Amino acid sequence: MAKEYVKYVDVTKCDGCRACMVACKNWNDLPAEPTEFLGSVQSHAKTTADTWNVLQYIEHENGKGDLDYLFRHSSCFHCSDAACEKVCPENAISYTKYGTVVIDQDKCVGCGYCVQNCPFEVISLKTYKDKNGKEYRKSHKCTMCTDRIEEGLQPACVTTCHTGAMEFGDKDAMIQKAEQRVKEIKDRYPNAMVYNPQGVGGTHTVYVLAEKPSVYGLPENPKVPTSAVLWKDYAQPIGKAMIGATTMAVVGAFVANKFFSKKAGNDAEDGGGSHE
Amino acid sequence: MIKSVVSKEYQDLQKKIVQLQEQWKQQLNPEIIRPNLDKAAMEAGVPAAALTAIDFEISLFQQWIEEISAILINSNPELEPKLSGIESLLNEEIAIRWIEEAFAFNHVYFASFAACHGLEGWIPQFLAETALRPYLQLTAEKVQHEIHHSNPGAGCPVCGEPVRLATLKEEGKKVIHCPRCLAHWHAKRLECSHCGNEDHKTIQFLTIEGDAVSQIQVCGTCHGYIKIIDTRQYISQPSAALLDLNSIHLDFVAQENGYHVIGEKKETN
Repeated sequence: MAKEYVKYVDVTKCDGCRACMVACKNWNDLPAEPTEFLGSVQSHAKTTADTWNVLQYIEHENGKGDLDYLFRHSSCFHCSDAACEKVCPENAISYTKYGTVVIDQDKCVGCGYCVQNCPFEVISLKTYKDKNGKEYRKSHKCTMCTDRIEEGLQPACVTTCHTGAMEFGDKDAMIQKAEQRVKEIKDRYPNAMVYNPQGVGGTHTVYVLAEKPSVYGLPENPKVPTSAVLWKDYAQPIGKAMIGATTMAVVGAFVANKFFSKKAGNDAEDGGGSHE
Repeated sequence: MIKSVVSKEYQDLQKKIVQLQEQWKQQLNPEIIRPNLDKAAMEAGVPAAALTAIDFEISLFQQWIEEISAILINSNPELEPKLSGIESLLNEEIAIRWIEEAFAFNHVYFASFAACHGLEGWIPQFLAETALRPYLQLTAEKVQHEIHHSNPGAGCPVCGEPVRLATLKEEGKKVIHCPRCLAHWHAKRLECSHCGNEDHKTIQFLTIEGDAVSQIQVCGTCHGYIKIIDTRQYISQPSAALLDLNSIHLDFVAQENGYHVIGEKKETN
Protein backbone atom coordinates (compact mmCIF):
# COMPACT_ATOMS: atom_id res chain seq x y z
CA MET A 1 0.00 0.00 0.00
CA ALA A 2 1.22 3.43 -0.87
CA LYS A 3 1.48 6.08 1.77
CA GLU A 4 -1.82 7.03 3.41
CA TYR A 5 -2.39 10.74 3.36
CA VAL A 6 -4.58 12.95 5.49
CA LYS A 7 -6.01 16.38 4.84
CA TYR A 8 -5.60 18.39 8.03
CA VAL A 9 -8.12 21.20 8.54
CA ASP A 10 -7.62 23.62 11.40
CA VAL A 11 -10.89 25.56 11.47
CA THR A 12 -9.46 28.06 13.96
CA LYS A 13 -7.06 29.35 11.32
CA CYS A 14 -9.71 29.65 8.60
CA ASP A 15 -10.79 33.19 7.75
CA GLY A 16 -13.71 32.14 5.55
CA CYS A 17 -12.27 33.45 2.27
CA ARG A 18 -13.79 30.57 0.25
CA ALA A 19 -10.72 30.22 -1.97
CA CYS A 20 -10.93 26.45 -1.33
CA MET A 21 -14.37 26.40 -2.94
CA VAL A 22 -13.11 28.28 -5.96
CA ALA A 23 -9.98 26.13 -6.32
CA CYS A 24 -12.14 22.99 -6.18
CA LYS A 25 -14.54 24.25 -8.86
CA ASN A 26 -11.58 25.29 -10.97
CA TRP A 27 -9.56 22.08 -10.77
CA ASN A 28 -12.55 19.72 -11.08
CA ASP A 29 -14.23 21.81 -13.76
CA LEU A 30 -17.51 22.06 -11.85
CA PRO A 31 -20.20 24.46 -13.05
CA ALA A 32 -21.40 27.39 -10.95
CA GLU A 33 -24.59 26.85 -9.02
CA PRO A 34 -26.68 29.95 -8.42
CA THR A 35 -28.35 29.79 -5.00
CA GLU A 36 -30.92 31.74 -3.02
CA PHE A 37 -29.90 34.01 -0.16
CA LEU A 38 -29.73 31.80 2.92
CA GLY A 39 -29.85 34.55 5.51
CA SER A 40 -26.08 34.45 6.07
CA VAL A 41 -22.91 34.81 4.08
CA GLN A 42 -22.90 31.04 3.45
CA SER A 43 -23.38 30.31 -0.24
CA HIS A 44 -24.78 26.76 -0.28
CA ALA A 45 -26.66 24.95 2.50
CA LYS A 46 -24.44 21.87 2.06
CA THR A 47 -22.25 20.13 -0.47
CA THR A 48 -23.95 19.18 -3.74
CA ALA A 49 -23.09 17.17 -6.84
CA ASP A 50 -21.53 20.27 -8.41
CA THR A 51 -20.15 21.89 -5.26
CA TRP A 52 -17.86 19.43 -3.55
CA ASN A 53 -16.82 21.66 -0.73
CA VAL A 54 -18.77 24.35 1.05
CA LEU A 55 -17.60 26.84 3.62
CA GLN A 56 -19.88 26.80 6.65
CA TYR A 57 -20.46 30.04 8.58
CA ILE A 58 -21.82 29.50 12.06
CA GLU A 59 -22.84 32.12 14.60
CA HIS A 60 -22.34 30.42 17.92
CA GLU A 61 -22.97 31.71 21.40
CA ASN A 62 -20.17 30.37 23.52
CA GLY A 63 -20.46 29.57 27.22
CA LYS A 64 -19.39 33.06 28.28
CA GLY A 65 -22.27 34.75 26.51
CA ASP A 66 -20.07 35.98 23.64
CA LEU A 67 -20.76 35.37 20.02
CA ASP A 68 -18.21 33.33 18.05
CA TYR A 69 -18.19 33.41 14.29
CA LEU A 70 -17.04 29.94 13.29
CA PHE A 71 -15.97 28.76 9.85
CA ARG A 72 -15.54 25.22 8.56
CA HIS A 73 -14.37 23.90 5.22
CA SER A 74 -16.78 20.99 4.73
CA SER A 75 -16.27 18.23 2.18
CA CYS A 76 -15.98 14.45 2.01
CA PHE A 77 -14.23 12.91 5.03
CA HIS A 78 -12.86 9.91 3.13
CA CYS A 79 -13.73 7.49 5.95
CA SER A 80 -11.51 4.46 6.46
CA ASP A 81 -14.71 2.43 6.86
CA ALA A 82 -16.95 4.22 4.42
CA ALA A 83 -20.70 3.62 4.51
CA CYS A 84 -21.03 4.71 0.87
CA GLU A 85 -18.56 2.05 -0.23
CA LYS A 86 -20.38 -0.56 1.84
CA VAL A 87 -23.84 0.08 0.45
CA CYS A 88 -22.97 0.54 -3.21
CA PRO A 89 -24.62 -2.40 -5.02
CA GLU A 90 -22.49 -1.91 -8.14
CA ASN A 91 -19.11 -1.65 -6.39
CA ALA A 92 -18.78 1.75 -8.04
CA ILE A 93 -17.27 3.25 -4.87
CA SER A 94 -13.83 2.11 -3.82
CA TYR A 95 -10.78 3.01 -1.75
CA THR A 96 -7.61 4.14 -3.46
CA LYS A 97 -4.14 3.21 -2.26
CA TYR A 98 -3.86 6.68 -0.71
CA GLY A 99 -6.88 6.09 1.56
CA THR A 100 -9.23 8.29 -0.46
CA VAL A 101 -12.72 7.13 -1.44
CA VAL A 102 -13.69 7.58 -5.08
CA ILE A 103 -16.71 6.91 -7.29
CA ASP A 104 -16.35 5.17 -10.64
CA GLN A 105 -18.79 7.16 -12.77
CA ASP A 106 -19.01 4.40 -15.39
CA LYS A 107 -20.24 1.89 -12.83
CA CYS A 108 -22.58 4.20 -10.90
CA VAL A 109 -26.26 3.55 -11.66
CA GLY A 110 -27.58 6.45 -9.59
CA CYS A 111 -29.49 4.32 -7.07
CA GLY A 112 -28.78 6.83 -4.30
CA TYR A 113 -27.97 4.32 -1.53
CA CYS A 114 -24.69 6.13 -0.87
CA VAL A 115 -26.52 9.45 -0.54
CA GLN A 116 -28.89 7.97 2.04
CA ASN A 117 -26.18 6.26 4.06
CA CYS A 118 -23.37 8.84 4.22
CA PRO A 119 -23.18 9.87 7.90
CA PHE A 120 -21.92 13.32 6.85
CA GLU A 121 -24.37 13.92 3.97
CA VAL A 122 -21.64 14.85 1.49
CA ILE A 123 -22.64 12.73 -1.52
CA SER A 124 -25.32 13.98 -3.93
CA LEU A 125 -26.94 12.79 -7.11
CA LYS A 126 -26.94 14.76 -10.31
CA THR A 127 -29.56 14.21 -13.00
CA TYR A 128 -28.44 14.06 -16.63
CA LYS A 129 -30.36 13.57 -19.87
CA ASP A 130 -29.11 11.23 -22.57
CA LYS A 131 -29.56 11.95 -26.27
CA ASN A 132 -33.02 10.38 -26.30
CA GLY A 133 -34.14 12.70 -23.53
CA LYS A 134 -34.15 9.89 -20.98
CA GLU A 135 -33.06 10.94 -17.50
CA TYR A 136 -30.35 9.14 -15.56
CA ARG A 137 -28.46 9.95 -12.37
CA LYS A 138 -24.90 9.72 -11.11
CA SER A 139 -23.58 10.41 -7.65
CA HIS A 140 -20.75 12.87 -7.06
CA LYS A 141 -18.53 14.03 -4.23
CA CYS A 142 -15.06 15.30 -3.42
CA THR A 143 -12.29 12.97 -4.66
CA MET A 144 -9.62 14.57 -2.46
CA CYS A 145 -8.11 15.41 -5.86
CA THR A 146 -6.90 11.83 -6.23
CA ASP A 147 -5.83 12.75 -9.77
CA ARG A 148 -3.48 15.35 -8.29
CA ILE A 149 -2.18 13.02 -5.56
CA GLU A 150 -1.24 10.52 -8.26
CA GLU A 151 1.03 13.19 -9.72
CA GLY A 152 2.60 14.05 -6.38
CA LEU A 153 0.51 17.18 -5.91
CA GLN A 154 -1.59 18.25 -2.93
CA PRO A 155 -5.37 18.68 -3.29
CA ALA A 156 -6.36 21.96 -4.94
CA CYS A 157 -8.13 23.31 -1.85
CA VAL A 158 -5.05 22.76 0.33
CA THR A 159 -2.76 24.37 -2.21
CA THR A 160 -4.80 27.53 -2.34
CA CYS A 161 -5.40 28.03 1.40
CA HIS A 162 -3.61 31.25 2.30
CA THR A 163 -3.94 31.10 6.10
CA GLY A 164 -2.42 27.66 6.44
CA ALA A 165 -5.70 26.31 7.82
CA MET A 166 -5.28 23.26 5.61
CA GLU A 167 -2.30 21.00 5.20
CA PHE A 168 -1.78 17.71 3.47
CA GLY A 169 0.65 14.99 4.39
CA ASP A 170 1.50 11.72 6.03
CA LYS A 171 -1.42 10.39 8.09
CA ASP A 172 0.41 10.01 11.42
CA ALA A 173 2.17 13.36 11.16
CA MET A 174 -1.11 15.17 10.45
CA ILE A 175 -2.94 13.51 13.36
CA GLN A 176 -0.05 14.41 15.66
CA LYS A 177 -0.18 17.98 14.40
CA ALA A 178 -3.92 18.15 15.12
CA GLU A 179 -3.43 16.91 18.68
CA GLN A 180 -0.68 19.45 19.25
CA ARG A 181 -2.83 22.27 17.88
CA VAL A 182 -5.75 21.39 20.16
CA LYS A 183 -3.42 21.76 23.17
CA GLU A 184 -2.41 25.21 21.92
CA ILE A 185 -5.95 26.53 21.54
CA LYS A 186 -7.55 25.05 24.67
CA ASP A 187 -7.40 28.43 26.46
CA ARG A 188 -9.24 30.19 23.69
CA TYR A 189 -11.61 27.33 22.86
CA PRO A 190 -12.13 25.04 25.88
CA ASN A 191 -14.27 22.64 23.81
CA ALA A 192 -11.64 22.31 21.07
CA MET A 193 -11.07 18.76 19.85
CA VAL A 194 -9.63 16.60 17.11
CA TYR A 195 -12.44 15.22 14.95
CA ASN A 196 -11.29 11.90 13.54
CA PRO A 197 -14.32 9.71 14.39
CA GLN A 198 -13.47 6.09 15.10
CA GLY A 199 -17.03 4.91 14.45
CA VAL A 200 -16.14 5.02 10.73
CA GLY A 201 -12.60 3.72 11.29
CA GLY A 202 -11.08 7.20 11.37
CA THR A 203 -11.19 9.60 8.45
CA HIS A 204 -8.74 10.96 5.90
CA THR A 205 -9.87 14.51 6.56
CA VAL A 206 -8.96 15.29 10.16
CA TYR A 207 -10.35 18.42 11.75
CA VAL A 208 -9.26 20.60 14.60
CA LEU A 209 -12.69 21.86 15.72
CA ALA A 210 -13.10 24.89 17.97
CA GLU A 211 -16.37 23.62 19.40
CA LYS A 212 -18.23 20.34 19.80
CA PRO A 213 -19.06 18.61 16.50
CA SER A 214 -22.80 19.26 16.96
CA VAL A 215 -22.15 23.02 16.76
CA TYR A 216 -20.97 22.42 13.19
CA GLY A 217 -23.89 20.13 12.47
CA LEU A 218 -21.61 17.09 12.57
CA PRO A 219 -22.59 13.80 14.23
CA GLU A 220 -20.85 13.37 17.61
CA ASN A 221 -20.19 9.72 16.96
CA PRO A 222 -20.90 8.79 13.33
CA LYS A 223 -21.23 5.11 12.49
CA VAL A 224 -21.62 3.02 9.42
CA PRO A 225 -25.43 2.40 9.56
CA THR A 226 -26.34 -1.05 10.88
CA SER A 227 -28.56 -1.57 7.84
CA ALA A 228 -25.52 -0.99 5.61
CA VAL A 229 -23.47 -3.56 7.53
CA LEU A 230 -26.39 -6.02 7.40
CA TRP A 231 -26.77 -5.38 3.69
CA LYS A 232 -23.16 -5.68 2.66
CA ASP A 233 -21.81 -8.23 5.12
CA TYR A 234 -24.83 -10.53 5.43
CA ALA A 235 -27.64 -9.92 2.94
CA GLN A 236 -25.43 -9.64 -0.14
CA PRO A 237 -23.29 -12.76 0.47
CA ILE A 238 -26.41 -14.74 1.38
CA GLY A 239 -28.11 -13.31 -1.68
CA LYS A 240 -25.23 -14.42 -3.85
CA ALA A 241 -25.36 -17.88 -2.28
CA MET A 242 -29.07 -17.91 -2.95
CA ILE A 243 -28.43 -17.06 -6.58
CA GLY A 244 -26.23 -20.15 -6.68
CA ALA A 245 -28.94 -22.28 -5.12
CA THR A 246 -31.58 -20.87 -7.45
CA THR A 247 -29.38 -21.51 -10.46
CA MET A 248 -28.86 -25.10 -9.38
CA ALA A 249 -32.60 -25.53 -8.94
CA VAL A 250 -33.28 -24.09 -12.40
CA VAL A 251 -30.67 -26.31 -14.02
CA GLY A 252 -31.97 -29.32 -12.12
CA ALA A 253 -35.52 -28.54 -13.13
CA PHE A 254 -34.47 -28.12 -16.76
CA VAL A 255 -32.74 -31.49 -16.84
CA ALA A 256 -35.61 -33.16 -15.05
CA ASN A 257 -38.16 -31.49 -17.34
CA LYS A 258 -36.30 -32.54 -20.44
CA PHE A 259 -36.30 -36.12 -19.25
CA PHE A 260 -39.92 -35.93 -18.15
CA SER A 261 -41.17 -34.25 -21.34
CA LYS A 262 -39.40 -36.85 -23.47
CA LYS A 263 -41.23 -39.51 -21.54
CA ALA A 264 -44.44 -37.58 -21.93
CA GLY A 265 -43.75 -37.32 -25.68
CA ASN A 266 -43.32 -41.06 -25.91
CA ASP A 267 -46.53 -41.47 -24.04
CA ALA A 268 -48.22 -39.22 -26.54
CA GLU A 269 -46.81 -41.27 -29.41
CA ASP A 270 -47.94 -44.37 -27.72
CA GLY A 271 -51.26 -42.76 -27.14
CA GLY A 272 -51.43 -41.81 -30.81
CA GLY A 273 -50.65 -45.40 -31.72
CA SER A 274 -53.36 -46.75 -29.51
CA HIS A 275 -55.94 -44.70 -31.29
CA GLU A 276 -55.20 -46.40 -34.54
CA MET B 1 4.89 9.90 -9.11
CA ILE B 2 5.17 13.27 -10.76
CA LYS B 3 4.72 13.03 -14.50
CA SER B 4 7.87 13.60 -16.48
CA VAL B 5 9.09 13.20 -20.02
CA VAL B 6 12.18 11.51 -18.59
CA SER B 7 12.05 7.71 -18.54
CA LYS B 8 11.55 5.95 -15.23
CA GLU B 9 14.89 4.14 -15.60
CA TYR B 10 16.85 7.35 -16.09
CA GLN B 11 15.03 9.03 -13.21
CA ASP B 12 15.91 6.09 -10.96
CA LEU B 13 19.55 6.26 -12.05
CA GLN B 14 19.70 9.98 -11.28
CA LYS B 15 17.98 9.44 -7.94
CA LYS B 16 20.68 6.91 -7.02
CA ILE B 17 23.40 9.33 -8.05
CA VAL B 18 21.87 12.17 -6.03
CA GLN B 19 21.63 9.85 -3.00
CA LEU B 20 25.25 8.82 -3.41
CA GLN B 21 26.38 12.45 -3.66
CA GLU B 22 24.52 13.18 -0.44
CA GLN B 23 26.26 10.25 1.27
CA TRP B 24 29.66 11.36 0.00
CA LYS B 25 29.03 14.89 1.20
CA GLN B 26 28.20 13.54 4.66
CA GLN B 27 31.54 11.71 4.72
CA LEU B 28 33.50 14.90 4.06
CA ASN B 29 34.88 16.88 6.94
CA PRO B 30 33.45 20.43 6.70
CA GLU B 31 36.84 21.77 7.83
CA ILE B 32 38.32 21.04 4.39
CA ILE B 33 36.24 23.91 2.99
CA ARG B 34 37.79 27.25 3.89
CA PRO B 35 35.81 30.10 2.34
CA ASN B 36 37.55 33.43 2.03
CA LEU B 37 34.63 35.50 0.84
CA ASP B 38 35.59 38.88 -0.43
CA LYS B 39 32.58 41.19 -0.45
CA ALA B 40 33.78 43.26 -3.40
CA ALA B 41 34.58 40.20 -5.50
CA MET B 42 31.22 38.63 -4.65
CA GLU B 43 29.45 41.84 -5.62
CA ALA B 44 31.30 41.75 -8.92
CA GLY B 45 29.91 38.28 -9.53
CA VAL B 46 32.87 36.05 -8.65
CA PRO B 47 31.45 32.69 -7.50
CA ALA B 48 32.09 31.87 -3.84
CA ALA B 49 33.64 28.53 -4.76
CA ALA B 50 36.39 30.40 -6.62
CA LEU B 51 37.15 32.29 -3.42
CA THR B 52 37.28 29.13 -1.34
CA ALA B 53 40.20 26.86 -0.61
CA ILE B 54 39.14 23.22 -0.77
CA ASP B 55 41.40 20.34 0.28
CA PHE B 56 40.48 17.63 -2.19
CA GLU B 57 41.29 14.07 -1.30
CA ILE B 58 42.43 12.56 -4.55
CA SER B 59 42.05 8.90 -3.55
CA LEU B 60 38.46 9.60 -2.47
CA PHE B 61 37.74 11.28 -5.80
CA GLN B 62 39.13 8.24 -7.65
CA GLN B 63 37.05 5.93 -5.47
CA TRP B 64 33.87 7.92 -6.19
CA ILE B 65 34.50 7.72 -9.92
CA GLU B 66 34.72 3.94 -9.56
CA GLU B 67 31.44 3.92 -7.66
CA ILE B 68 29.69 6.01 -10.32
CA SER B 69 31.00 3.67 -13.03
CA ALA B 70 29.59 0.73 -11.07
CA ILE B 71 26.16 2.38 -10.83
CA LEU B 72 26.16 3.21 -14.53
CA ILE B 73 27.12 -0.35 -15.48
CA ASN B 74 24.55 -1.73 -13.08
CA SER B 75 21.79 0.27 -14.76
CA ASN B 76 23.04 -0.42 -18.27
CA PRO B 77 25.42 -3.41 -18.67
CA GLU B 78 26.23 -2.30 -22.24
CA LEU B 79 28.32 0.50 -20.77
CA GLU B 80 30.81 -1.92 -19.23
CA PRO B 81 33.31 -2.05 -22.13
CA LYS B 82 33.12 1.75 -22.48
CA LEU B 83 33.81 2.46 -18.81
CA SER B 84 36.20 -0.37 -17.93
CA GLY B 85 39.42 1.42 -18.91
CA ILE B 86 38.78 4.58 -16.89
CA GLU B 87 40.20 3.45 -13.56
CA SER B 88 43.60 2.63 -15.04
CA LEU B 89 43.70 5.99 -16.83
CA LEU B 90 42.84 7.96 -13.74
CA ASN B 91 46.18 8.29 -11.95
CA GLU B 92 46.73 10.99 -9.36
CA GLU B 93 47.93 13.57 -11.86
CA ILE B 94 44.93 13.09 -14.16
CA ALA B 95 42.54 13.12 -11.19
CA ILE B 96 43.87 16.50 -10.05
CA ARG B 97 43.52 17.82 -13.57
CA TRP B 98 39.94 16.47 -13.77
CA ILE B 99 39.00 18.23 -10.55
CA GLU B 100 40.44 21.51 -11.80
CA GLU B 101 38.82 21.29 -15.20
CA ALA B 102 35.45 20.11 -13.86
CA PHE B 103 35.59 23.03 -11.43
CA ALA B 104 36.08 25.38 -14.36
CA PHE B 105 33.50 23.45 -16.45
CA ASN B 106 36.10 23.15 -19.20
CA HIS B 107 34.22 21.01 -21.67
CA VAL B 108 36.89 21.57 -24.32
CA TYR B 109 39.48 19.81 -22.17
CA PHE B 110 37.18 16.87 -21.49
CA ALA B 111 36.23 16.54 -25.15
CA SER B 112 39.89 16.39 -26.16
CA PHE B 113 40.65 13.98 -23.30
CA ALA B 114 37.89 11.68 -24.55
CA ALA B 115 39.18 11.91 -28.12
CA CYS B 116 42.79 11.17 -27.03
CA HIS B 117 41.83 8.06 -25.11
CA GLY B 118 39.14 6.74 -27.43
CA LEU B 119 36.31 7.29 -24.97
CA GLU B 120 32.78 8.38 -25.73
CA GLY B 121 32.55 12.16 -25.52
CA TRP B 122 30.22 12.37 -22.52
CA ILE B 123 32.11 10.00 -20.23
CA PRO B 124 35.04 11.99 -18.75
CA GLN B 125 33.11 15.16 -17.97
CA PHE B 126 30.08 13.30 -16.63
CA LEU B 127 32.23 11.30 -14.20
CA ALA B 128 34.36 14.27 -13.14
CA GLU B 129 31.36 16.56 -12.67
CA THR B 130 29.38 13.97 -10.70
CA ALA B 131 32.30 13.34 -8.35
CA LEU B 132 33.03 17.04 -7.93
CA ARG B 133 29.52 18.03 -6.90
CA PRO B 134 29.70 16.82 -3.27
CA TYR B 135 32.51 19.35 -2.74
CA LEU B 136 30.53 22.13 -4.41
CA GLN B 137 27.44 21.19 -2.41
CA LEU B 138 29.38 21.22 0.86
CA THR B 139 30.78 24.63 -0.08
CA ALA B 140 27.28 25.91 -0.82
CA GLU B 141 26.05 24.58 2.51
CA LYS B 142 28.88 26.33 4.31
CA VAL B 143 28.40 29.73 2.67
CA GLN B 144 24.61 29.57 2.30
CA HIS B 145 24.06 32.13 5.07
CA GLU B 146 26.04 34.67 3.03
CA ILE B 147 24.09 34.10 -0.18
CA HIS B 148 21.17 36.49 -0.47
CA HIS B 149 21.02 37.34 -4.13
CA SER B 150 22.85 36.84 -7.38
CA ASN B 151 24.10 39.41 -9.82
CA PRO B 152 22.18 39.43 -13.09
CA GLY B 153 24.04 37.35 -15.62
CA ALA B 154 26.66 36.08 -13.15
CA GLY B 155 24.90 32.76 -12.55
CA CYS B 156 25.01 30.89 -9.27
CA PRO B 157 26.82 32.97 -6.63
CA VAL B 158 28.45 29.78 -5.31
CA CYS B 159 29.49 27.74 -8.34
CA GLY B 160 28.79 30.00 -11.33
CA GLU B 161 26.30 27.66 -13.02
CA PRO B 162 23.88 29.65 -15.22
CA VAL B 163 20.55 30.32 -13.52
CA ARG B 164 17.74 28.21 -14.92
CA LEU B 165 15.49 26.94 -12.12
CA ALA B 166 13.32 28.67 -9.53
CA THR B 167 10.59 27.49 -7.18
CA LEU B 168 7.72 29.35 -5.58
CA LYS B 169 7.62 29.17 -1.80
CA GLU B 170 5.36 30.52 0.94
CA GLU B 171 3.59 33.76 0.08
CA GLY B 172 4.67 33.31 -3.51
CA LYS B 173 8.33 34.11 -2.92
CA LYS B 174 10.56 33.18 -5.82
CA VAL B 175 13.58 31.17 -4.78
CA ILE B 176 16.28 30.37 -7.32
CA HIS B 177 17.95 27.00 -6.96
CA CYS B 178 21.23 25.88 -8.41
CA PRO B 179 20.80 22.28 -9.53
CA ARG B 180 24.59 21.85 -9.48
CA CYS B 181 25.60 22.93 -5.96
CA LEU B 182 22.08 23.16 -4.45
CA ALA B 183 22.59 26.75 -3.25
CA HIS B 184 19.43 28.87 -3.19
CA TRP B 185 18.56 32.53 -2.92
CA HIS B 186 15.61 34.87 -3.25
CA ALA B 187 14.82 36.86 -6.36
CA LYS B 188 12.18 39.37 -7.32
CA ARG B 189 9.14 37.85 -9.00
CA LEU B 190 9.40 40.26 -11.92
CA GLU B 191 13.09 40.26 -12.64
CA CYS B 192 15.14 38.58 -15.32
CA SER B 193 18.00 36.69 -13.66
CA HIS B 194 20.10 36.99 -16.79
CA CYS B 195 20.00 40.72 -17.54
CA GLY B 196 18.30 42.28 -14.52
CA ASN B 197 15.38 43.53 -16.60
CA GLU B 198 12.48 44.53 -14.33
CA ASP B 199 10.14 45.91 -16.97
CA HIS B 200 6.89 43.96 -16.62
CA LYS B 201 5.99 44.67 -20.23
CA THR B 202 8.93 42.69 -21.58
CA ILE B 203 8.83 39.80 -19.10
CA GLN B 204 6.43 37.08 -20.14
CA PHE B 205 5.42 33.66 -18.92
CA LEU B 206 4.94 30.58 -21.06
CA THR B 207 2.79 27.84 -19.60
CA ILE B 208 2.10 24.29 -20.68
CA GLU B 209 -1.52 23.27 -21.04
CA GLY B 210 -2.41 20.70 -18.38
CA ASP B 211 0.72 21.41 -16.33
CA ALA B 212 -0.57 23.13 -13.20
CA VAL B 213 2.76 23.76 -11.52
CA SER B 214 5.26 25.00 -14.09
CA GLN B 215 5.87 28.17 -16.02
CA ILE B 216 8.74 29.52 -18.07
CA GLN B 217 9.71 33.11 -17.43
CA VAL B 218 11.11 34.64 -20.60
CA CYS B 219 12.73 38.01 -21.05
CA GLY B 220 12.07 40.05 -24.18
CA THR B 221 15.24 42.05 -23.67
CA CYS B 222 17.93 39.37 -23.46
CA HIS B 223 15.90 36.36 -24.67
CA GLY B 224 16.94 34.36 -21.65
CA TYR B 225 14.57 32.07 -19.75
CA ILE B 226 14.22 30.36 -16.41
CA LYS B 227 11.88 27.60 -15.32
CA ILE B 228 9.62 28.36 -12.35
CA ILE B 229 8.01 25.44 -10.52
CA ASP B 230 5.32 26.00 -7.91
CA THR B 231 6.58 23.40 -5.43
CA ARG B 232 4.10 24.60 -2.81
CA GLN B 233 1.69 22.21 -4.52
CA TYR B 234 3.99 19.19 -4.11
CA ILE B 235 3.34 16.67 -1.37
CA SER B 236 7.07 16.17 -0.82
CA GLN B 237 9.84 18.52 -1.90
CA PRO B 238 12.21 16.99 -4.47
CA SER B 239 15.91 17.88 -4.68
CA ALA B 240 16.71 20.75 -7.04
CA ALA B 241 18.79 18.41 -9.21
CA LEU B 242 15.84 16.06 -9.77
CA LEU B 243 13.42 18.96 -10.21
CA ASP B 244 15.68 20.31 -12.94
CA LEU B 245 15.79 16.92 -14.65
CA ASN B 246 12.05 16.24 -14.45
CA SER B 247 11.19 19.65 -15.89
CA ILE B 248 13.43 19.22 -18.93
CA HIS B 249 10.40 19.51 -21.23
CA LEU B 250 10.26 23.18 -20.25
CA ASP B 251 13.82 23.66 -21.55
CA PHE B 252 12.77 22.19 -24.88
CA VAL B 253 9.70 24.44 -25.09
CA ALA B 254 11.70 27.54 -24.17
CA GLN B 255 14.51 26.81 -26.60
CA GLU B 256 12.12 25.92 -29.42
CA ASN B 257 10.54 29.32 -28.86
CA GLY B 258 13.86 31.04 -29.36
CA TYR B 259 14.94 31.63 -25.76
CA HIS B 260 18.37 30.81 -24.36
CA VAL B 261 19.86 29.39 -21.19
CA ILE B 262 22.11 32.42 -21.00
CA GLY B 263 20.67 35.81 -21.90
CA GLU B 264 22.31 37.78 -24.67
CA LYS B 265 22.10 41.49 -24.30
CA LYS B 266 21.82 43.02 -27.74
CA GLU B 267 24.04 46.04 -28.14
CA THR B 268 22.22 49.07 -29.42
CA ASN B 269 24.44 51.81 -30.73
